[in-house]
Amino acid sequence: MLKPVQMSRVVVAGSKNVIEPIIEKLHELSLLHIVSYSGTEDVFGMGKSLESAHGISEQLIKLRSIERYLDITDKMPDRVFTESEVISQMGDILDRIGADVIATYERIAEIENDVKIKQDQISAMKPLSALPVPLELLSGYESLATFVGTVDSPVESDVTRVSSANEVFSAGDAVAVFVPVDKTSEVSDVLAEHGFSEISLPKDISGSISGAITTLESDIKSLGSEREPLQKKLDDLKAQHEDTILAVDEYLSIHAQKAEAPMQFASTENAFVVDGWVPTDQFDTLKREIESAAGGRVQVEMLDEDEAGEMVEAGEDIPTKIVNPGVARPYELVTRLFAVPEYKEFDPSLLIFIFFPIMYGMILGDVAYGLIILIMMFMLKRKFKTPGWNSLINIVVIASIWTIIFGFLFGEIFGPMGLWDYIFSGTHYVGLLGTVTHPHAVGIDFGAGLYGPLGRFGPSGIGSFDGAMFPMYRLATASVLVLIGVSLFIGVLHTGVGSIIGIKNALAYGDKRDAYFEKLPVIVFQVFLGLFILGFALKSQLMMGGSVVIILVAIILAAMGPEGVLGVTHAPFYVSNIISYLRLLAIGLASVGVAFAANKLAFYVVMPMLSGPGEFTTTAIVVGVVVLIVVHFINLLLGILSPFMHALRLHYVEMFTKFYSQHGGGIEYMPFGYVRRFLRS
Amino acid sequence: MVVEVIIDGGMLYGLIAVGAGLATGLAGIGAGVGEQGIGAAVVGVVAEEPGFLGKGLFLMLLPETLIIFGLAVSLILMFAWAPFA
Repeated sequence: MLKPVQMSRVVVAGSKNVIEPIIEKLHELSLLHIVSYSGTEDVFGMGKSLESAHGISEQLIKLRSIERYLDITDKMPDRVFTESEVISQMGDILDRIGADVIATYERIAEIENDVKIKQDQISAMKPLSALPVPLELLSGYESLATFVGTVDSPVESDVTRVSSANEVFSAGDAVAVFVPVDKTSEVSDVLAEHGFSEISLPKDISGSISGAITTLESDIKSLGSEREPLQKKLDDLKAQHEDTILAVDEYLSIHAQKAEAPMQFASTENAFVVDGWVPTDQFDTLKREIESAAGGRVQVEMLDEDEAGEMVEAGEDIPTKIVNPGVARPYELVTRLFAVPEYKEFDPSLLIFIFFPIMYGMILGDVAYGLIILIMMFMLKRKFKTPGWNSLINIVVIASIWTIIFGFLFGEIFGPMGLWDYIFSGTHYVGLLGTVTHPHAVGIDFGAGLYGPLGRFGPSGIGSFDGAMFPMYRLATASVLVLIGVSLFIGVLHTGVGSIIGIKNALAYGDKRDAYFEKLPVIVFQVFLGLFILGFALKSQLMMGGSVVIILVAIILAAMGPEGVLGVTHAPFYVSNIISYLRLLAIGLASVGVAFAANKLAFYVVMPMLSGPGEFTTTAIVVGVVVLIVVHFINLLLGILSPFMHALRLHYVEMFTKFYSQHGGGIEYMPFGYVRRFLRS
Repeated sequence: MVVEVIIDGGMLYGLIAVGAGLATGLAGIGAGVGEQGIGAAVVGVVAEEPGFLGKGLFLMLLPETLIIFGLAVSLILMFAWAPFA
């Protein structure tokens, strides 16, 4: 869990005669994280790929272009293929269907190009459509210069001034000017004064301009009707062969991977050497399997720690294999999104699994919203099956369960005591603090209230309210105070755990000075800042005074650290770290506020206004419900996104910065092998 | 004398409330100004590479801490000072 899996450095050396069965076995085992040979030693050369590599990569390139034309992207398989099935269909896909796809696609591209050219011609000729001159007469003279285009003001008189022999046609802004060739430059100057901009005309069209435009338009239409069935054909081909194509892709990718593997090996004329890392507890399996595959003509050895240490010192990275129990696995996505931890560092996925959903739940905290999100996620789960989406959906599922739990604590179903209260108990709140008999108490007496006969639960006697604490009304003054406390407590705990991991990481790298004078002061500072605030709330001068003294000690420790007095300048950052956790309260309050306003608007403004005194009329109820749905829907959308992002931020900015990436991100353990989806192994 | 009017006339509580409002409101404006630049940049990047959306949204959130600070000041004013006023 918290620590990456222990790795061992392995060397596999064998005769070239057995290179293929060994590659085959390594691929099947999917255990060895290969370290590419860098070519630094004289004895060994770089390995060459197997002979089959060239053919396979050619086929793969062809297949990928078919995929691109058919717009096939990664998906989860609807059916699984055997290898012999794939081999028998591969030729058909690559040749017959491939040729069909390419021909169809190219014809579509041609049509699109034609359409574009014709559209350009139309838009060029549009301004000239009123000119009474046929297209073929507008160009192609030996002794005449022609100017066709648009102008800002009439040009005829000025053209006549520089060239008495002329012919000018105009219609609106459009002009066509014919002058003798020897007057070209003078006329051109004159036209420029009138803002002339030339329009180049298509050469291959004749007849009147407006007639030409009509012809082009009908051409575009007929091209469009030719394109439609072709596009449909591509769609049909995609629907029919998508899985087969992806299966062939997988088959070829696996073979390409195997064929190109030797390029990472060190090799001599008759032998090859593979370096790599393997999980220590899997080494025996690896050794046994490879030796039996190669019939003993191979040497598999584990380097002892000193030798492995030398490799690491020389710049080799130990791959990080993070392993977590099933429920916490989706949260590895959150870790990876930030950075893969280094081999010696901690993997925070399990901690994210603990803190993230609680934070999310505490911010949103509404039974109904939680249920809706849960149902939505189960619906999405059917549609999005790729591993990435699956992780994301599982993260939100767990978060929505906590949302429901907090919803019960806060007494929120579509807002505080929202619809439930109105429909079932008949006792309504009349103002923000209107029926609140004890505005400074945590709980509010709603009579039978939310949980009916179940009544209230939790510790009692907090503030001036006698009843039990839950369900607590988040908008009440005293609840805000309690939640401030809870938020800051979570903050101190969360950053504290981060700091402890930071100290352990620093010690793992043997950096004691960093651990005790840079990481330790942070946790001391933040814990006692929390105690100081608690002392302030409890009005305990001893607690406040004591905390201040220890905080000062922490600051002095920081000043003795590697950064010297400059280290003290981080102190405001430690304070802001903790205060940042107030967002757990603040974002939640905003969302409760909107839900509250929605209910208020519907039940106390819209419905009474539309129905007048007495019972609510049907129209009023319908309009009121529409208002409820719209506002709650918007609030729910924000309620999914914003708690997620803010909880994420608290992890990345407040917690991860305490321990992450002291030495740059790690590299992930990627064993030589392939995760099969479409092919049965 | 003015001070006496403020304290005795019950104006102090009102002024604290106004101060609390300003603290959150102005901090909100500050955060908005901060997010403006980030938002524009993120929209630009997402137009080119849609995969950046998640990271972009996350970056958008960073200045929102400013409002939290404003809110913290407001809460201190309202709950820690106002009861003694």
